[in-house]
Amino acid sequence: MAFLEKLNLILVKMLAFVGGVFLVGMIAITCANILSRAVWVPIRGVFELMGYAGAIVAAFALGYTQIKKGNIAVDILVNRYPARLKRVIHAANSLIGLAFFLLASWQICIKANTMMATGEVTETLQVIYYPFVYGVALGCLVLALTLSTELLKSAFQREEN
Amino acid sequence: MSLALVGVVGILALLLILFLLGMPVGFSMGVVGFVGFCYVISFNGGLNMLSSVLWDTFSNYGLTVIPLFVFMGQIAFYSGVNEKLYNAAHKWVGQFRGGIAMATVMACAAFSAICGSNAATAATMSTVALPQMKKFKYEPKLSTGAIACGSTLGVVIPPSVVLIVIGLSTEQSIARLFYGGIGAGLLLALLLTLTVAVVCQIHKDWGPLAPKAGLAEKIKSLSGAFEMVALFCSVMIGLYFGVFTPTEAGAVGSFFAVLIGLVRRTLTWHGFKASVADTLRISCMVIMIVAGAMIFGRFLAVTRIPFDIAHWVVGLPVPHFVIMLIIFGIYLVGGAVMDALALLLITIPIFFPVAVKLGYDPLWFAVTITVITTLGAVTPPVGATTYVVAAMAEDVPLDDVFRGVAWFLPAFILCVLILMVFPQLVTYLPSLIH
Repeated sequence: MAFLEKLNLILVKMLAFVGGVFLVGMIAITCANILSRAVWVPIRGVFELMGYAGAIVAAFALGYTQIKKGNIAVDILVNRYPARLKRVIHAANSLIGLAFFLLASWQICIKANTMMATGEVTETLQVIYYPFVYGVALGCLVLALTLSTELLKSAFQREEN
Repeated sequence: MSLALVGVVGILALLLILFLLGMPVGFSMGVVGFVGFCYVISFNGGLNMLSSVLWDTFSNYGLTVIPLFVFMGQIAFYSGVNEKLYNAAHKWVGQFRGGIAMATVMACAAFSAICGSNAATAATMSTVALPQMKKFKYEPKLSTGAIACGSTLGVVIPPSVVLIVIGLSTEQSIARLFYGGIGAGLLLALLLTLTVAVVCQIHKDWGPLAPKAGLAEKIKSLSGAFEMVALFCSVMIGLYFGVFTPTEAGAVGSFFAVLIGLVRRTLTWHGFKASVADTLRISCMVIMIVAGAMIFGRFLAVTRIPFDIAHWVVGLPVPHFVIMLIIFGIYLVGGAVMDALALLLITIPIFFPVAVKLGYDPLWFAVTITVITTLGAVTPPVGATTYVVAAMAEDVPLDDVFRGVAWFLPAFILCVLILMVFPQLVTYLPSLIH
């Protein structure tokens, strides 16, 4: 389990780093577009590039947000549960989330496969964009991995007790 | 089972998962929406919907505005702008009875105009303002109550993530919502400031006088805070005149916030990295809730329950304002037990069509429910902002913080009533927008 946790942490940090780079890139490209538009002509395809970069920023932060407990939950009742029940509930949440994001990752992958096979390109720049779709699938997969380590943690805690 | 009944069961299942399992809001809505959609349409249909909605939401150009404005706020936060804003407000109004508490509310309003996060405003204003109020022997109930309630302004005063998300989910102009939020936010800030004055008239020893600052000192205090306020004004004016889109406004705001921080040497490399990390976390959380709400919305749409409810409510034999008051009551209670953003995204598909069908201005409705749900950030049992202030003010018991907050609650109610009587306070500025 320690190996899985370590692997997950490395993946989460790597994706978060790439997400951060894309975030800074989004600011740079938008400002460059405003400047270029003011003095000459707008940069082509900024609209679609921003959408795809935004997808990477959000998807690559999924695991990081889960590790940092950044997702909002209504825990007013759960906080009052006994410790054992809390662990069971936490494990159930992780399991449901794991199944959901595995399904999501699988389906988004299929979507990306279809785009790659049909050679689908963006409207303005006429370039392939399926790598970004694979990126979102990867983000969901890493979140599923994070949830699986949380699930295992809950199970091991119970064994120890 | 009829489609309407499936819709009701879906809503009940969502509430059960939210409250009994404490599953993250975005995940809950996604899971219930997916399962419900599969039940009504088919499993394969559900799988297709899942991948389409997730990809479409994550790659939505409109949503890119969220990380950009969040980043601008985080840069301002890590550059220590809040401290400068507070010092400026302190120098200008500190000599009045309760003046430092008033200054705190004003600084909260100004900082939230840049930051947009309740928790960040509450945490930093507690660090900056609490020691000052303690030094001048302010009543802890007043000082903590002023910070907790002042911090809620972040959700109403633009740029607000909540208003952005409402705009996207109801297909309204974000720029118009931002301008609508200015009127409501300033009104709320004014009422909170007046509350401090009233409380200090009732309890004269709660807000003692502080030394008066000279004019030179007052003008000097504006340095440092001025640039960020000017940046906020530039962004809003650019939006007003259509110079740039909300996403571009966020990017320009972020760029200049970094530039100001670097030029004034208030932004460190550590602060920059922390801003990026916090932006990723906050943006991902918001976008995940939006994605979950979109999946849940698809499920509700196939059950047709929002339209059925809207049709039923409009046919009720009671005046429209009574229905609106009931809806506001639901938001008031809901806001007390749930995060504002999550509550709004869950309920908007149900209540927004009702408000429109009743003939209310969609923009006014969006801004007013935002004001109401912010109240939940300071009331028990959730009251996240109050908990943040209580955690920062280590020597003030949580009960006292809630008692302090209670003094400010009439200001929120009064604000909503004024907005109901004078909707122009929300709708006038957006009507002028280019």
